Amino acid sequence: MFLLPIWTDITTSFKSIHDIIYTIPVQPPLSPTIEPLITAFNIMKRPLVNSLTFTVAATILSCLLGSINGYALTKIRFPGSNMVFLLFSIGIFLPYQAVLVPLVLTMSRLGLYNTLAGLILTHTTYGITITTLLFRNFYGLIPDSLIMAAKTDGAGTWTIYRRIILPLSLLPFVVAAVLQFTSIWNDFLFGVTLARGSEAMPASVALANLKGTTEFNWNVQMAGALWYALPVLIIYLVLGKYLIRGYMAGAIKG
Amino acid sequence: MVSITIKNLTKKYGNTVAVKDLNLQIEDKEFFVFLGPSGCGKTTTLFAIAGLIKIDAGEIWIGDELVTSGEQGIHKPPQEREISMVFQDYAIYPHMTVFDNIAFPLQIRKTDKNEIQESVTKTAELLGIYQLLQRKPRQLSGGQRQRVALGRAIVRRPKVFLMDEPLANLDAKLRVQTRTELKKLQLELGVTTVYVTHDQVEAMTMADRIMVQRDGIAEQIGTPDELYNHPSNLFVAGFIGSPEMNFIDCTLTEETNGLCLDAKEFRISLPAKMSSELKGHIGEEVIMGIRPEDLHESKSAVSATQENAVRMTLDLIEPVGPYLLLHLRKGRVSLVATVKDTRSKAGQEVVIEMDLSKMHMFDKRTTEALI
Repeated sequence: MFLLPIWTDITTSFKSIHDIIYTIPVQPPLSPTIEPLITAFNIMKRPLVNSLTFTVAATILSCLLGSINGYALTKIRFPGSNMVFLLFSIGIFLPYQAVLVPLVLTMSRLGLYNTLAGLILTHTTYGITITTLLFRNFYGLIPDSLIMAAKTDGAGTWTIYRRIILPLSLLPFVVAAVLQFTSIWNDFLFGVTLARGSEAMPASVALANLKGTTEFNWNVQMAGALWYALPVLIIYLVLGKYLIRGYMAGAIKG
Repeated sequence: MVSITIKNLTKKYGNTVAVKDLNLQIEDKEFFVFLGPSGCGKTTTLFAIAGLIKIDAGEIWIGDELVTSGEQGIHKPPQEREISMVFQDYAIYPHMTVFDNIAFPLQIRKTDKNEIQESVTKTAELLGIYQLLQRKPRQLSGGQRQRVALGRAIVRRPKVFLMDEPLANLDAKLRVQTRTELKKLQLELGVTTVYVTHDQVEAMTMADRIMVQRDGIAEQIGTPDELYNHPSNLFVAGFIGSPEMNFIDCTLTEETNGLCLDAKEFRISLPAKMSSELKGHIGEEVIMGIRPEDLHESKSAVSATQENAVRMTLDLIEPVGPYLLLHLRKGRVSLVATVKDTRSKAGQEVVIEMDLSKMHMFDKRTTEALI
């Protein structure tokens, strides 16, 4: 039953306009065609590349920064670190809508309005709150004695991060990356407010624009949705097993 | 090589004083043990030497170099002190092979590859873990992990070894075995070693000198022999030795034939040579201490007339193996004696002779030793 929408999406994507009118959505197409897929791809090509660019960049950046933050918050413990963590946690609860106006103003002053860099910066900033929390919790499980041992072995703060912490962080990196990739990829609000022009338009916005103002090309729209869903699907298929191990990592000590 | 000097070291956590005004001199090549119950400040002191924590006051010198000074705000980070450390949970890096674990301190110092290979091989051979070099830590047993941690500590020949209860996580048999090997290794390498433990047997067997700590204060510093035979206060006397020293509350009185200990249930006349030292304490409450091996069962059950003999009920006999533990009672006084052999049965009356030359006496108020 829960696969029905996906099924409908697939069937409709392969239908011509004629088939859409003469068949109910769940029915397979009478004469399958890849025409809608090609049409949708041509329209979505640029936005998909845009989305992929800023999503990958922001995912990598937010995970890396989250990891460094988590390390600093658990293993270095500078004065006021608890306060800093509290502020990070508050960031998680900050609704997107609340920051829209200042965000747009800031971006345009920085000259980053309507650019990929602007989207990368925004999503990274928004993402580090949750990734910091995630990495901090994971690093809490790494015994302090490991860090102390590395110190007495002669390693400095940065070497410890690179040689000890980072190699032990595969699981939280996968979890954070999937989480970030999905949420940044699916984001519509920041995309629609920060990147209206075509240069930086995300796929989510382009998909919404497929729906014309006067006519409804259901097949093209469904095909567009299919293209749009593809990267996330691939991510889950490839990283799925790590993800489950990552979710379990907290329960069973490594 | 180097000695370690600690001057007026104080470390507080919030309002709790972990280490209070500690003064200590650890000699070159010495195997020095910090001994005490958990929370006594021994690990804090060790971490202060390592530079893993900052201190509130005092100075620490490694060799002729001032590495920490609370007053002058000097704090050399651990990586710049020529120390290496072994932790209770071994703290070996789980993602590295045994080889990389041992090589880590050398790699950090950008040592030449061939030299690393050679040093690691030599260290692994010394510790008998050469065949494990390509394994990951999770494939090793506790004892093997412990050796890897040791290997990592000795591979770069530091000036000082710091060990934080390195044997605590091993099972009893392996612990005894490793204890001996560790001591041999230290003698062989001749490196100044500071070793933290709460196990007094470990301390006694391995140490050149021991510091007994309690509540952040050094109760006594001395050789195992000094601590065992001349404890400077009640705490050290009770902490060192197993089975524990017997303590009896007494009053010191003066009789016609000299000084006498009155334990209400019985009285013991003190030898004349002790009298002069104890003259000033007549009438005071004291605690008499005597170790279980200094209590002997009298062969002739009738001779309870001697000054140092007490007739007691034998409650229980515990065979330990090399000796027997006799649990004795007379009124509110209970004693434990270790004897080689006995013909008595539980429930019988026996005569116990005390070796008064081995007796200890403590002021009940200050708990300091009187003789």
